[in-house]
Amino acid sequence: MDKKKIEEMVNQVFEESFEIDKGDLSPEKGIFEDLGLDSLDIVDLVVALQKKFGVKIRDDNRVREIRTLGDIYNFIESLYNEGNFSADK
Amino acid sequence: MKRVVITGMGVVCPLGSNVEEYIKGLENNKSGIQKMEKWKEYIGLNTLVAAPAKIENEKSIPRKKRRSMGRMGIFAAQATEEAVKDSGLSESVITSARTGCIIGSTMGGAEAMNDTFEIMLPEKDLSKLSSMNFFKCVSHTAAMNVSQCFGIKGYVMATSAACASALQAVGAAYGLIQSGKQDVVLCGGAEELHAIVAGSFDILFATSTHFNDNPECTPRPFDKDRDGLVCGEGSGILVLEDYEHAQKRNAKVYAEVSGYHTCGSGEHVSQSNKEAMVSCMKETLKSADMQPDNIDYINAHATATIHGDKQEAEALKEIFGDKIPVSSLKGYIGHTLGASGSIELIAALKMMQKSKIYPTKNLNDVAEDCKGINHVMKIQEKEINSILKNCFAFGGINASLICKKIL
Repeated sequence: MDKKKIEEMVNQVFEESFEIDKGDLSPEKGIFEDLGLDSLDIVDLVVALQKKFGVKIRDDNRVREIRTLGDIYNFIESLYNEGNFSADK
Repeated sequence: MKRVVITGMGVVCPLGSNVEEYIKGLENNKSGIQKMEKWKEYIGLNTLVAAPAKIENEKSIPRKKRRSMGRMGIFAAQATEEAVKDSGLSESVITSARTGCIIGSTMGGAEAMNDTFEIMLPEKDLSKLSSMNFFKCVSHTAAMNVSQCFGIKGYVMATSAACASALQAVGAAYGLIQSGKQDVVLCGGAEELHAIVAGSFDILFATSTHFNDNPECTPRPFDKDRDGLVCGEGSGILVLEDYEHAQKRNAKVYAEVSGYHTCGSGEHVSQSNKEAMVSCMKETLKSADMQPDNIDYINAHATATIHGDKQEAEALKEIFGDKIPVSSLKGYIGHTLGASGSIELIAALKMMQKSKIYPTKNLNDVAEDCKGINHVMKIQEKEINSILKNCFAFGGINASLICKKIL
């Protein structure tokens, strides 16, 4: 899976779960201040990413470091490179 | 004690998503009952009819306000929006600490409960659960969501007394304003349809099962062919207001709430009890300082169960004889359970406004055991200055409310 595909799938999560327009999704966007998510949304973001990529990340400490959309792309890419997930499609 | 009036109303129900559509549906003798093909997947569920309401335009509620709402939360928020608009109350009044919100329901969101169990039970894995499921499952989901959505800072409460929930909410709101603790209370009930809910009645043989292929012919309150209730959904919200507060802002007033009582039968968890119904209505009349003859119209609970309708007819006969017109609205909209008290009260208030009584739909031939009261079987023109609304619930819980026109 290339980075572009990861970005596309992460963006889908933001569109489907948080009703954010595709045009507003770019790597530098802060997930709290720019995209408007709050602490409850983060729980659902984790659930949605787990479902989308077939991974378990709820207890992964790296989740706490995420600030921007780009951080999520990088985090998912790291998981992929570590060979520990089976993305759906 | 302060006087309490009704200054706003809003509805989402099987006949429409606002008061106008709802009343038009009653006027046109429309049935909101449909066949539920999807319910065939449930083994042992015999009723295949229900009265669904439509979710429309829900995205007009901002995502962060909507994310914690199940169907009933959305219904309640939309009914509240209509009621608040109808009342003409300003945002500053609605968001002041003098405005409260009391909305009841039979239980929390059945759909969210179902989803929670489906996610959690197979592998006993909580990691797939959305943070929002809990907020949809809780018993006060409608009151909680409406209060968040509208910025309510006064009393926020949820009544939970099955089919009497909405009327208890209105009764509680009445008490809060009477005592001066609140100036305005948004109140009523909400309910969402699900096989879990219909199934709970079905296994008790309380649902209608003989009209699965003719849904518009059921339920049949007080009729000789009645065979049980049909579950419905929606929300009815009323704005109750201190009369002086309403007068000061020159508000439109539908009616004054002039009597209320709720009581238990202490007898049986599911069987209605005539004596307790009589006691509830008599106490309500007493609290309104009225005699049975002072009531112009009775909006019955009558769900079309064999036992419940008989008990209510007998109770009404004992107090009112065959003088006062009685009708039930369940034939149009099914039994909206925890929302029925307020959804039906709204129709009764519109009847008062229009001087017109909508009849009991599907009542073609009055059952022997329901005779002796003044059944309304076709639209009747009549000046109505006072109404009595009944709700009788599982747990032997009864509630009655009287409203009268301010002349």
